[in-house]
Amino acid sequence: MRIELREAGFAYLQGTPFASIALAGVSLCIEPGERIGITGPVGSGKSTLLELLAGLRQPGTGSVYFDGLPAARRRKKTVPGPGRIGIAFQSPESCLFEKTVIADVASGPRNLGINEAPARERAEAALKSMGLDPVSYGRRSPWSLSTGEQRRVALAGLLALEPEVLLLDEPSASLDPAARESLTGQLLKINGKGVTIVIAGHDMDEMARFARRLVIIDEGRLAADGPAAALLTDTGLMERHGLEAPATVRLSGMLAQATGRPVPPFLTEASAASFLRGLSGPSEPREPRHAS
Amino acid sequence: MHLDELIIGQYFPGNSLLHRADPRLKITAVFIYVAGLFLAGGFAGLLIMAAGLLLALAQARVPPRWLYRSVRPVAALLLLTFLFQLFLHGGPVLGRIGPVPIYRDGAREGGYLALRLLLLVLAGIVLSLTTPPVALTDAFGKMMAPLAKLKVPAYELALMMTIALRFIPTLLMEADRIIKAQAARGASLASGGPARRARALLPVLIPLFILSFKDADELAMAMESRCWRGGKGRTSRRRLRLGPVDAMFALLAAVVVAGGVAIGRTSGF
Repeated sequence: MRIELREAGFAYLQGTPFASIALAGVSLCIEPGERIGITGPVGSGKSTLLELLAGLRQPGTGSVYFDGLPAARRRKKTVPGPGRIGIAFQSPESCLFEKTVIADVASGPRNLGINEAPARERAEAALKSMGLDPVSYGRRSPWSLSTGEQRRVALAGLLALEPEVLLLDEPSASLDPAARESLTGQLLKINGKGVTIVIAGHDMDEMARFARRLVIIDEGRLAADGPAAALLTDTGLMERHGLEAPATVRLSGMLAQATGRPVPPFLTEASAASFLRGLSGPSEPREPRHAS
Repeated sequence: MHLDELIIGQYFPGNSLLHRADPRLKITAVFIYVAGLFLAGGFAGLLIMAAGLLLALAQARVPPRWLYRSVRPVAALLLLTFLFQLFLHGGPVLGRIGPVPIYRDGAREGGYLALRLLLLVLAGIVLSLTTPPVALTDAFGKMMAPLAKLKVPAYELALMMTIALRFIPTLLMEADRIIKAQAARGASLASGGPARRARALLPVLIPLFILSFKDADELAMAMESRCWRGGKGRTSRRRLRLGPVDAMFALLAAVVVAGGVAIGRTSGF
């Protein structure tokens, strides 16, 4: 599905002394199968932008188009249903409510009118694609799981709807590094199957691992939109918008400064190892030494 | 409208007579006003009391749109009250909605009860719109202080009230987020019969209860970690003192309530 925002703006509590402008004149087009990161400082309007993209809020100014058709105000039928766009807010695990994991994940397909058996099949497939074994996890209570597992169950609940677009607000916030890494891996696999994934957040390392395209929002306005690799290595741009470049980019800068040699701007484990080997010349790999 | 845009129990900053009046006096005035609403016994009285309240709101410079947002949550209850009375009373027939006759007494009684309910709600809203929550706690605590001699935990009760007020917007925001999250999974709260609708509330109510208990637990821990020990031995930096502004406010409030009750009980309208 193609989602397009044209000059979209949104203000909370408009017409009251507490009115606050969340977005102003944002134009953005999301093509099918894309892998996008939306970033910006806290309170910049990322979450509101996701809600507009999901059709959950109508822009106060400008318009939103789904597959080229404008979403009309006050006409819900012009907004795609939950089967097509899935959205997860921050800490989606707080919305788990069924007694068992499998019942919770299957509740979405059942809401769409799908019978028990096929809904269960969808739930099992969704759990597998989030790296959870339906046999060992299916009958457990969602509240007996760790936060990372609960989050995967909640995201599986969205995947069971087989959406074309997944919008995720800080999906890896408050997860430990291993759970973050694993979640990003699962999301990359899901995107490989053709699902458009948009992640909002301010963890630049996650953006570096996940996003192919990066959108920077600052004070409700579109500050930058382009290839993630180009924007994330532009440290000046990052600093101007109160963001910190990913650790790999910072390390690359430090190595270039320390050695005076050109370093790839995006260091991977392999490229870092190859650069360091190049510094010391060819040598035999040494046996690791352990303290006795 | 989204739930997180509803306004209940929020302070509207200002420097009007109503804003500056002693919060203890305002609480007392609201109680007396509410009692007056029940004693007025006639439309004329209610109209005078409504005029007094509207004047106070205008003087406090509360925008009508803001007020509308505050009253909107109870609009359905007001309409239901009116409609319920409309068909329960007799008298001359005023008109018909299809085959159903509308009686004059029903319209009158429905209008009277709905107006009284509206003023009741508005009086509470005026108090919370023009009094900061901290001042409300202070005032409740001071007013209930004599009860402490009877071992009633006056300060704690006042604090509980303020916390409840403070958490209304937070819970509305959380409810809004959960409703949207469940709607994104195809859950519908607005379709089907009563049983289906009640069942459809579970995916919202269960997470909301869990979150509320979590919030309460975290708040309790945060208070303990900041050495909160209840009202015992507690002193107050702000001292409430009655002044000329309070005298003026008390006089105006007394005129409105006494005028409303006197005219309501004697005019026969």
